[in-house]
Amino acid sequence: MGRFFINCDEASILSTREQYGDLNPKEAFRHKLHQGHCIRCRSFHKNNERFQRKLRGLKWVTLSDSQKDSIKKRIAASMKK
Amino acid sequence: MPEVKLIPEKWVDRYGDYLFNFTISRVNDPIMAQDLVSETFLAGLKSAHRFKGNSTERTWLISILKRKIIDYYRKINSNKGKAEVRMSYLSNSDQEGDWMEEKAQDLRNPNVEDTIEQEELGKALEECIACLPERYATIFVQKTIDNLETETICKEHDITASNLWVIIHRARVQLMECMNKKWHKDN
Ligand SMILES: [Zn+2]
Repeated sequence: MGRFFINCDEASILSTREQYGDLNPKEAFRHKLHQGHCIRCRSFHKNNERFQRKLRGLKWVTLSDSQKDSIKKRIAASMKK
Repeated sequence: MPEVKLIPEKWVDRYGDYLFNFTISRVNDPIMAQDLVSETFLAGLKSAHRFKGNSTERTWLISILKRKIIDYYRKINSNKGKAEVRMSYLSNSDQEGDWMEEKAQDLRNPNVEDTIEQEELGKALEECIACLPERYATIFVQKTIDNLETETICKEHDITASNLWVIIHRARVQLMECMNKKWHKDN
């Protein structure tokens, strides 16, 4: 992975990983560089970011670990029957 | 199409949060929502022998959950002697969601100004997630909603990190397209 230039498929995966804060500095640089000369990937990245903002705004609720455990126990008990 | 097998041991980890979100946006009570999710899994176990594998586990569990939510409202209505008021809505499954949406307050966002948009968006996203291939849906939810570590998800599904990112990327692309279609259809 010593190369600077990446193709559009690679760039789009980097764009997605960036939404989860998963890029190291080298990858972030490659991604930026690619966007500098690729309108399509630039536009995809903008949409991807917009989508991520919407997801964040949803404020998903999750079951706590203890709630999950209690449901799991009910399932396990029922499976034993 | 490969045969879909039920794996009840994994239900809570794979679908618990998704079903909980689905329920809480329709039932204004977190404890009741947890109970309904739990009841859904138990009903799933009981009727597992009837599962034909024509749909995914997620879709199948959601269909059970929807019936549980309708039963819940039926019970409330009959307790209050209002059963007849809304029963006509219940005969049409497409409208169940609309009615329950009317009834339920969305607990995910207490800010009233944003609630309607959030509610619509959340509902659209739930529907779009349900249209994803099962593996994509599960992995997307685990990474995006449950915030699980990449390594944990990879281990569970026996995939590499690059497989995982390809799956999440494809899931997101499909979700964005699906949400756009819904948006244009509704506006
Ligand atoms: Zn490109």
